[in-house]
Parts: sequence; C-alpha cells; structure tokens
Amino acid sequence: MSGRNEARTEPRIAVYVCQCGGNIGDYVDTNQVVHAVKDLPGVVVARHAMFTCSDSNQQEMIDDVAREHLDGFVVACCSPKLHTFTFRGVAERAGVNPYRVAQVNIREQCSWTHTDDPTGATSKAMKLVTAGVERARLMKPLHPIEVPTTPRVAVVGGGVAGMRAAIALADVGLEVHLIEKEPELGGHVGKLGAMYPHGTVGTELVHRMLEEIDRRPGIEVHTGAVVSAKSGTFGNYRIAIESVGLRTEVTVGQIVVATGFDSYEPATGEFGYGSPRVVTLPEFRRLLDEAEGPIVRDGRPVRSIAYIYCVGSRCGDRTYCSRYCCSAAVHASLLAAERDPSVRQYHLYRDLRTYGRNEVMFGESRKRGSYYLRFADDDPPLVSIDGERIRLTVHDLLTAGAELALEPDLVVLVTGMVPRANDELIGALKLPVGRDGFLNEIHPKLRPVETVVDGVLIAGACQAPKSSAESVTSGLAAAAQAAAVLRRGVASLDPQVAIVDSGACDGCGECIGSCPFGAIEMTGTGGTVVATIAAAGCKGCGACTPTCPRNAIDLQGYTDAQVRATIAGLLAGRAT
Amino acid sequence: MSTLIAAPLDMTVRDGFDAEACMNCGFCSATCPLGVPILPRRLFRYVLFGMDDAVRAETETIFSCLLCRSCEQSCPAGVHITENVRLLRGWLLREGR
Ligand SMILES: Cc1cc2nc3c(=O)[nH]c(=O)nc-3n(C[C@H](O)[C@H](O)[C@H](O)COP(=O)(O)OP(=O)(O)OC[C@H]3O[C@@H](n4cnc5c(N)ncnc54)[C@H](O)[C@@H]3O)c2cc1C
Ligand code: SF4
Ligand code: SF4
Repeated sequence: MSGRNEARTEPRIAVYVCQCGGNIGDYVDTNQVVHAVKDLPGVVVARHAMFTCSDSNQQEMIDDVAREHLDGFVVACCSPKLHTFTFRGVAERAGVNPYRVAQVNIREQCSWTHTDDPTGATSKAMKLVTAGVERARLMKPLHPIEVPTTPRVAVVGGGVAGMRAAIALADVGLEVHLIEKEPELGGHVGKLGAMYPHGTVGTELVHRMLEEIDRRPGIEVHTGAVVSAKSGTFGNYRIAIESVGLRTEVTVGQIVVATGFDSYEPATGEFGYGSPRVVTLPEFRRLLDEAEGPIVRDGRPVRSIAYIYCVGSRCGDRTYCSRYCCSAAVHASLLAAERDPSVRQYHLYRDLRTYGRNEVMFGESRKRGSYYLRFADDDPPLVSIDGERIRLTVHDLLTAGAELALEPDLVVLVTGMVPRANDELIGALKLPVGRDGFLNEIHPKLRPVETVVDGVLIAGACQAPKSSAESVTSGLAAAAQAAAVLRRGVASLDPQVAIVDSGACDGCGECIGSCPFGAIEMTGTGGTVVATIAAAGCKGCGACTPTCPRNAIDLQGYTDAQVRATIAGLLAGRAT
Repeated sequence: MSTLIAAPLDMTVRDGFDAEACMNCGFCSATCPLGVPILPRRLFRYVLFGMDDAVRAETETIFSCLLCRSCEQSCPAGVHITENVRLLRGWLLREGR
C-alpha cells in the first residue's frame, strides 16, 4: 500500500483533535480547531474525538485509511512522549508508514498551560495544528535501519552479578567474554562464609558458579584483565582487553558492566578505628568465618560486642543508605551467638533497615542476646580508648534519651558500600556516573539495566548498594536485555538520522567536530572526499545540520524543508 | 552522668520475663487507665541493661500498677506486660532496699 501512497504528489492527511476527556476539551474549543484546518491543502479528514487514543477511535482511524486512502495522520493531543508509539502502531496496522504520523501537543502546551485563557489556548492550538499539517505534508516514508549484530557479549567484572549474567547469556546461545581484574572470579561473595538470608556459604556459591562456567564452552574467562578501549556502533562494538601487557581485540554486540563496590574504609580514629579492638564489618566477618568457637581478639576472649551502624553511609557527601549493612550486621550477630551463645551484643543504630524477610533475623537476634539502642542522626555514639579499656557513650532514644555507657571487648563498625575507583573503565566506556558515584541507569524502575550509552548495560552493586540476591537478579535482567537485542540477529534503529547529500558535500569537514557521538567521518578516494554519517552511530540530534556551509546535511523526519514549513504554518495559522 | 550497661537483671524465671520482644511503640502507655508515669518500655530497658538503681527508683510506680492488662490487650508484640510487672515486684521484694 505504501508504494501506491508514495507515488502521489499531494499526500492525503487526516487530522484528529483530541479532547482528552476534559483535559483539553474544557479549555480548547476543539471544534474550532477542526474548522481551522479542515480546508488546508492535503487534509481530507478532520474531526475531533473524546479520546483519540481509545480503542474505538484507533479503529476509526484505521477505517478512515481504507476509505480515504490516507497517507498520514496529524494527531493533536498530548505529549509525543506519551503516545508516539501508540499512533505509530495505529498507522502500521492500517498500512500507513509509521513515520508519517505527526503528533501535536495541545494539552501540555495549550490547555494545561493556559487554563485562565480558553480563547488564547484555542488560538494557539489552531496555529500548532496548522504547523503540524504543514510538516506532515512533507513527511516521507521511512524504514527502520536494520543492522546485523554480533552474537557475543562482554561482561566486565566477575562477581556474582557478572558470573550469573555470563551463565545466563551462554545458556541462550551467546558467546561471552567474562573479564575480571583480579586473578580470580568471585568478587566479595567469594570471600564470605554463611550469608543472609538463607545461610548459603559465599565461597561455596562461587565455587558452584565456577563449575557452571567451566561447563559452558561459550564463556571465555579473562582474569587479571581490564577493558581499555571501545569503538564501533550499536550491536558491533570493538573492545580492547588488556591482560599483563597483552592486548586482545574482540567484537561484541553488547557490554554488561558488573564491577561491584568497595567497602567503606574508616579514617584512623573514626569511632576508635585503628585500635586492634575496633574492626570493620568485613574484618569482623573474617574473624567469624575463621572462628570455630567463641571469638578471640587481641589475645582476649570476646564476651561482649558493640556494633555502630551507618559508618560511612548517610552522612557527609554519602547521603545514600548502603542497604545491605543492617541485614549483614544483624546476621553477623546471629553467627556470633552461634559461636558463643552467652555473648552479649549491643547494636547502636540510627534506623534499622532489615527490610522484607530480613526482619525475621532482627526478631531472632533479640531472642539471642542482642540489644538494640537507637541514637539520633546528629548525636552519634562517642568512642574513647583508654589503654585496655574501650568506652562507648550513647544517648539511647529507646531509653528516653538516657546517656548509657558500654565497655565492650570488641567494637564493630558497620561499614557501608562505596563506589569503586574505576576511572579507566569509566573513561573507556564513557559510563554515566551518578551524583553518589555509582553508575547510572536510564530509569530505576522502567529501564533499570540500560545506560544512556547504547548497548552498555549495568548490573549488580556497581549501580547502587545491593545484596547478593539483588545483584544476581540484576545480572539476570542485564542478560535478558542483552539477549533480547542480540538473539534477533539484527537491530532495528530509528531511521530519523542525519544523511549527507554527497553531491552537495564538498568535503570541507566542518561538520565532523559537531557530532557528539563521533558518527561522522570523511570517506572517499581519488580526490573526492565526502562526509559520511554512520546510521547506526547517529542519534538524530541534528547538531551537524546547521554547521554545513553548503546545506548538504538533512535530518530525516525533521528536514530543513519541514522545519521551514512548520514555521510558515505557525505564522499562517488562523487565529480567532 | 552515664550509666554503664551491665548484664540483665536476674528475674529468676527468665523465660517468663519477655522484655526482649518489646519494640518500643508506646501503645501500652497510651492505654493505661492510671496513666502510670513510668512507661513499661522504659522499665524493660532498665532490666535488660542491668540498671538496678533505676528500677529501684520506680518502686512506687511498679506497685501502683492495677494489673488490669489493658496494656497487654494493645501490645502488638504480645509482651506479657503485667506478668513482667509481677516479676519486677518479686525482684524488688528480694533486691529492693
Ligand atoms: C562484609 C560483607 C558481608 C556481606 N554479606 C552479605 C550477605 O550475607 N548476604 C548478601 O546477600 N549480601 C552480602 N553482602 C553484599 C554482597 O557482597 C554484594 O551484594 C555482592 O558482592 C555484589 O556483587 P557484584 O558482583 O555486584 O559485585 P562484587 O562482588 O564487588 O564483584 C565485582 C567484581 O568486578 C571486578 N572488577 C571491578 N572493576 C573491574 C574492572 N575495571 N575490570 C574488570 N573487573 C573489575 C572486581 O574485582 C570484582 O571481582 C556482603 C558484603 C560485605 C562487604
Ligand atoms: S543499611 Fe542500615 S547500617 Fe547500612 S546505611 Fe542503611 S541504615 Fe545504615
Ligand atoms: S505496647 Fe508492647 S511493644 Fe509496645 S512499648 Fe508497650 S510493651 Fe513494648
């Protein structure tokens, strides 16, 4: 059908003006808008509807296409952010090229902004819709750019998140390069004994995952290795893997970054840190994992323990909660009670965030000799060390703010997670870093593993503090996302990209520097060099178009002619 | 002046005294018909932290409780508050001065 439509000179366009219930209709007189545009050249259908996005109206649009042999639509309704894909879908089902749909926003830009002036809102809507019609008249059918993709994934970081992602990717038939900086896979979990919530032993878990990896020939493991460079475009990236001076280049379709976190390292003197009887949570875990019976520290049996929570988290620049530490500390106290049922344990906390089922551990710990004392955000406990004696004082909000003192044998600083120093990787992959220093996803709920860098996904605790199970889950999510792209074999990219008219280009090279994505290069032989834009690299931002002194670059879907027609439409639009 | 936390006071029938379950919500105090000035939750903390003098200082209050169980009805943690008060009275008779 599109072949027939493409042959005509004046396209046949339908205009639908939406009332969005009362959202638009209460302020914009949609009838007047319809009147203002119904006789414009090219418009063969113009009407308003209560809800243009409703199923019944979508069906009417499809019926209109069949009856009126339409080439395109103008839908005057809400923001394109909401319904571009809805109306492109309608077009597709009706046999109209989806890139011949122009959405005009008369809700956010007219009715919602001018609630005090219905006449003005209506007149503005008329102009905008007229401009939309003018733009639509020049719309050409476009087709998604199909790029063959490489069925191979680089997973950077071999903690639980990266290992699990690698296994899942291999299971759907993709090749994997698992790249780990350390001499061994496993990350933090590889060093842990029994873990919350189910008592799984970290070293054993990692051992089982290593066996799974061994069983899959599709996974190539690089240890003591880092990624030092990346080039190429969506679906086909070239990365350099460097290991002891050896550089290997591989082509991959997607990259999963799972580089994890570092534990917060307290400053000397911070809550008495530096004393042999003040340890961090990871150090305490090592003591516990090594002890068979009661813990001995600094030559003396540990009969009482004080925990100070939120060390390094929720203070100063690190405003975030490290999320795992409350549960990990409560769990550690249960392990300590197992080693010595008579040990007395005092937890000095700000808020106890043993979320979900971890609450059960909290209840259990109170039955086994753990006491909880709560201090105010701005009134942390004081630690003083006097030779053999460690003394903590705290105002306990749960004992009506009474000042209480403790003289424990051991102090455990419940240290949080901090972002890993990973400048080289962040530079090589241009990874987006959030204000907290962790890597940033596009949207924490809607697009949790994708980054603004196409084809680069993130998983595990490199994104934000996460427990082991949460890290594994996000590793699986990243694997699913990578597989969804690569298992198709081709990627469909938005065709609204810039193209160069090679006849008009004189090879001056002015445009090259303007592209923020490095998608433009000069190509050609024998004296005639012209600019070429890699369609897979272009994001359609349009930054290059105005830089060309010969006007040789045009952005598909937003050509210069369309922009001019839009402006003319705005100026011509009839106002009341 | 701070009080040094010590081992919990010995209530003799340890299993019967269930202060550990208290989560400090305050429902008990809100429903007490006498409006006893010292909150059960605070007393329980004194016991857990071995603060014997603080408990002794509340002898009057501990003996003024009606044992009406109105607090127990509303305790979401199921603490046997009145049973605990009886155990406290026993302790005071033994250890009070
Ligand atoms: C003391 C302690 C106790 C804990 N207890 C529990 C518990 O009981 N239960 C629980 O669920 N969670 C627990 N956790 C949390 C758990 O450790 C994390 O959730 C988990 O390690 C996150 O996994 P990950 O793969 O995202 O990161 P990591 O374990 O940090 O692994 C990341 C890997 O990436 C590698 N890497 C980093 N940078 C690069 C690079 N540039 N190139 C290549 N490789 C790189 C690292 O060497 C590392 O091997 C605990 C954490 C600590 C500190
Ligand atoms: S999880 Fe608990 S200890 Fe860790 S930062 Fe959050 S509130 Fe503090
Ligand atoms: S109602 Fe129960 S849980 Fe709440 S403060 Fe009183 S004793 Fe504690």
